[in-house]
Amino acid sequence: MRKFFPVEELARDERFNQVTMKERMADPRSGLPSAPGERSRSNRLVPSRPDASQAARALMHGIFVGEIQALEGAGRTCHDFRTAGDSARRAQDDAHDGVDTDDAVPFALKLDMARQAWDEARHVEISVKLSDWMGSEIGEFAENTVLFQAACSTDPILRLAGVNRALEGLAIDVFTTMKEFGDLAGDPFLEFCEDWMLADEVTHVKMGSDWLRRVTEHDPERRKKALEFQGVVDKLFSYGGTRSDSQESPIGLARRFRELAGFSDHEVEEIAEVSLAALEERKAAVAAMQSAARDVEQLAGG
Amino acid sequence: MSATGVTVTPQRFQFVHFDAELIQRVAESLVAALGLDRPVVIEVDETTPLARIDVTIDDAVTIRVESGAFEDTRRPRHQSEQATAASLGRVLLRARDRLLGGFGEAPADDRLTLAQTAAWNAYCAGRLARLGVHVAPQRWQYDFRNRHGFHDLADVAFERLWASDGLTWGELDEISRTAQHP
Amino acid sequence: MADPYQPRSPFAPWDRRELPGMFDVEESARRIGNYKWAEIKLFEALGGWVATVPELDVKMRLGTHCYKHAWHSELWHKRLPELREMNPDRLTQPPNDAMVHFVEALTEPEAAEQTIEKLVGVYRVFIPHFVAAYTFHKNNTSQITDAPTIRSLHFVLQDEMDDWRDGEMLIQSLLRTPDDVARASAHQARLEQMMLDAGGIAGPGSIGNPYAAGNGATTH
Ligand SMILES: [Fe+2]
Ligand SMILES: [Fe+2]
Repeated sequence: MRKFFPVEELARDERFNQVTMKERMADPRSGLPSAPGERSRSNRLVPSRPDASQAARALMHGIFVGEIQALEGAGRTCHDFRTAGDSARRAQDDAHDGVDTDDAVPFALKLDMARQAWDEARHVEISVKLSDWMGSEIGEFAENTVLFQAACSTDPILRLAGVNRALEGLAIDVFTTMKEFGDLAGDPFLEFCEDWMLADEVTHVKMGSDWLRRVTEHDPERRKKALEFQGVVDKLFSYGGTRSDSQESPIGLARRFRELAGFSDHEVEEIAEVSLAALEERKAAVAAMQSAARDVEQLAGG
Repeated sequence: MSATGVTVTPQRFQFVHFDAELIQRVAESLVAALGLDRPVVIEVDETTPLARIDVTIDDAVTIRVESGAFEDTRRPRHQSEQATAASLGRVLLRARDRLLGGFGEAPADDRLTLAQTAAWNAYCAGRLARLGVHVAPQRWQYDFRNRHGFHDLADVAFERLWASDGLTWGELDEISRTAQHP
Repeated sequence: MADPYQPRSPFAPWDRRELPGMFDVEESARRIGNYKWAEIKLFEALGGWVATVPELDVKMRLGTHCYKHAWHSELWHKRLPELREMNPDRLTQPPNDAMVHFVEALTEPEAAEQTIEKLVGVYRVFIPHFVAAYTFHKNNTSQITDAPTIRSLHFVLQDEMDDWRDGEMLIQSLLRTPDDVARASAHQARLEQMMLDAGGIAGPGSIGNPYAAGNGATTH
């Protein structure tokens, strides 16, 4: 088995259709209600939205495939990085692929990742049941593979920042939104399940926060690099403004739970900023794509 | 356009990989199955992935539909024949309900409450299923529960709407109203 | 009322635990180091395979089982210092090179079409050998001096038995044609041969006398 696994090869049965972030962002259509710089009506996922149940089903399916990718990411971290002190593995790694093998991680970190794999497997189970309850079929919506893609750095510390801080942080935001949705709608299962999953995700982010601090304790450069990488991933995971503090975004930023998970106020502010920037950039990109399309139309028409 | 024909605009799509002919074919077969007596005009807004549908009824039935309503959710920007049939079928059935009578007191579409909309949708989806259009009952039940509550009374009401034919607006509204109070 | 001062046997009549055991402290630590190494290899493999299997039910089981074996390795990791091994890494070793080769062959299958091979390696070869080595250890160590190991072995064996059954059922559900059966048996035979060379999870003597001549000859 290779040491690092490419996102394009994530194994799925025939029900699934995977799309990349690039394909997603190349879509010139926009559901955003306003132009760049403007603020308009709320787009937040709440039951009072006329399309609430369909939007909730789509988000639930997004959670489902996100959990699969989180499971795969946690599993890969167990596999891809040598346990510190594992001399047999070191010899094996050296003999193989020539990939830099200076990537040993503490044994206890790998134990945490294995625990996370179990948690994510449970989250997949929960998501399958919930999706069924909400009337969705497995694979009914396209799977965006950006989570795994962004979260699978070959540097263990960057991976930790990407998976356990950015991805799991996003999970906290999404679950908080879904939990509130279930609560308001009076859905007995949705609120219950999201609450449980949220508890796990806070734990996962905390694992990431703690390990990042410990492993880079004497290496401020590496810590800085990891945090910068996390910033990039956080922006990517804002999905062009799907998650931000703005009411235009379907998913909000769960400040209280992020705090519990070890994000400082400053870090939360930074995420708030990058996600708002992602929202504005997406609006501008859509406006540009649509005006280009109109130009083409006019040329063709006249 | 013939007296009961279907027209689709645009004929060529720029933002999505949709097929105007397919939309027309699906609409024509639904119009025939439902026995609608007037022309149908379908205007697709391909600049948004949302899935709202507006219908106005006068000499023609004019359907303004956002591209998400016809989209294959598995393959973004591609058309799904199933989704096209389910979306069009639902609004055409509603149009026919209004045209055939018994729905005179029904509020205009933009004045319907969310619960009334969900109830009417459930009534349409059940009939569409019997017409052979693929619709997932659980999906509409979930929508109905979100608007009426997650309890047995709502589930019984949903079953009734799903299985019904020939309801009047008064009957439909009554089912919806009683379903909200367990 | 019974007289509380009346002398009673320190071992109740139903408590038939025996003092003698087959392993001294050093041998116990050596074995447990091997167990820990093997459990680590197992959880690494299961974790790595999650992304490579298309079958959703298998994917979820692998993720779940991955954690259980990580937890086993943690139990052994914590037991080692109690057996006078203050540097647990020193004994966290394969029993011999043959075991390293076994793990290499076990983890070779990667393609999405090789779920049968992946599962057969784990659930028809590796885990049955864990069950055997652990059972042998549990039944042969001193029931009194080594009670902490026995307690862990109980927990671990419970997991191994549950997972073995889970994995075997997954395999049976995937074997649909004579060709599938042939593939499964061929892979099992190949790995079993390598395990034979290794002598079991803790090397030769994994389920036999640990002090017999020749045993552990290739120990690191
Ligand atoms: Fe999760
Ligand atoms: Fe998580």
